[in-house]
Amino acid sequence: MITINGISKEFKEGITGKCVKALEGLDLEIKQGEVFGFLGPNGAGKSTTIKILMNLIFPNTGEAKIGGKDVRDPEARRIVGYLPESPYFYDYLTAEELLWFGGKTAGMDANNIRERSDMLIDKVDLQNARKRPLRTYSKGMVQRAGLAMALIHDPDVIILDEPMSGLDPIGRKMVGDLMVELKGQGKTVFFSSHILNDIERFSDRAGIIIGGRLKRVDTLQNLLSGGKDLEDVFMGEVALAQGGTAA
Amino acid sequence: MTTLWPIALITFKEGIRNRAVYGITLVALLLFGATALVATMVPREVGKVAVDMALSTISFAGLLVVLFVGINLMAKDLDKRTIYTVLSRPISRSQYIVGKFLGMIMLITVTMGILSFLAISAIVMLKTIHGGFFTRFSWQAIILADCLTVLMLIVLSAVSFLFASFTSSSFITLILTIITYIIGQSLSGVKALLETPSHELGFTVSPVTMNMVKASYYLFPNLSLFDIKLQAAHDLPISSSFVIWTVVYGLVYIAISITLAALIFRKKEFP
Repeated sequence: MITINGISKEFKEGITGKCVKALEGLDLEIKQGEVFGFLGPNGAGKSTTIKILMNLIFPNTGEAKIGGKDVRDPEARRIVGYLPESPYFYDYLTAEELLWFGGKTAGMDANNIRERSDMLIDKVDLQNARKRPLRTYSKGMVQRAGLAMALIHDPDVIILDEPMSGLDPIGRKMVGDLMVELKGQGKTVFFSSHILNDIERFSDRAGIIIGGRLKRVDTLQNLLSGGKDLEDVFMGEVALAQGGTAA
Repeated sequence: MTTLWPIALITFKEGIRNRAVYGITLVALLLFGATALVATMVPREVGKVAVDMALSTISFAGLLVVLFVGINLMAKDLDKRTIYTVLSRPISRSQYIVGKFLGMIMLITVTMGILSFLAISAIVMLKTIHGGFFTRFSWQAIILADCLTVLMLIVLSAVSFLFASFTSSSFITLILTIITYIIGQSLSGVKALLETPSHELGFTVSPVTMNMVKASYYLFPNLSLFDIKLQAAHDLPISSSFVIWTVVYGLVYIAISITLAALIFRKKEFP
């Protein structure tokens, strides 16, 4: 469902225009119906990968496809729901209007938008705030509104960049339950996190990225074989990347 | 159009609900009050002063809407990264720019409609009280001047979209737009002055200066072209060919600015 072939990305930094490698030769394939956790420390390249998938930035080399379509084609995003890290929406719009916008741009009709909006607003627990401007929302409420917008058009592929960030324990449980539900519906979910527990709870498969290089990709079962927990596996990969030895 | 409409509508809603719009309308209301007060101080010219001040107030308030509300509508998407969510929809970047600009046109048209209603109310009130001093007066000229002001603001807004497509912050876009407004309002006057024969001018203009002024004249929008407040206030004749060519000029300038903005935006990255 998601294919990433040999993607590299460099950013120019500062006045000197010094090149910093954010991704190096990334190859990744995520199958339909799979929940894939993308794990890595801050600055590892998780968000860069997601932004390339959403065509917000362009790779220097390589290509990415969603549902067989090149990510540079806007039609590739018709089956995608995306929640950016720490999303920010229009101050003076309400959650209802945000979902209307999401539905309309995805080509949904008014009745369908209304039905899905009601259902999703209930699900993310924003019933009492649905007609309030988004600028009056807390960070967690904005995150939940963003999640509802990502799901308004019932996408087949859901891409979530740090979906738990800024959420209180109730919000985290809500998002967790939603991810389990999406998995049950056979949706393809690609989410990034640096919270090991989230990766362990929700993923079928996980990839560990460090310093722009994908160090390991495997099923959770294989990663945790031999009684290891994900922290051991992750710290081992970090140590290897830093030139040490795995724990 | 099905893709452009949702973008245009949320842009308009976000703009019209901005508190700054209420503030600008309130300032305009006070200025219309001042118009009534000042105009009555010059009884014989009350008609001309009322029309000139009312149209100037509309133009000033509209400029504030473009600079302090309009620029933010586009630039805040980039500053606050709202654009991540918008561009994650199945829309192209060109559609985003055009949709956003249509929303901006709606905002300018509606706010200018409200301001024009207030201005016309002030003029009607003064005309009722001082009818005898409104000898050279034409509603047609006033409405034409108002419409050209709206077009001038849309041209300026299109230029601000072009700046926002390649600058990295809303502040730089604001500064560049203000500079464009100042140059656009004064350039034709400067060009006319420099083209005056040197024996009349009293000094010689260097060819470099002349070429720079000429280049700026063709590069920047000639916004003074849209300003016919004086003709409206004195009910001076305005030829239909002048109006047609001014409208064509404005539309071509808008089309070029938005096309360039869309082309630049297609290559822009949002890290």
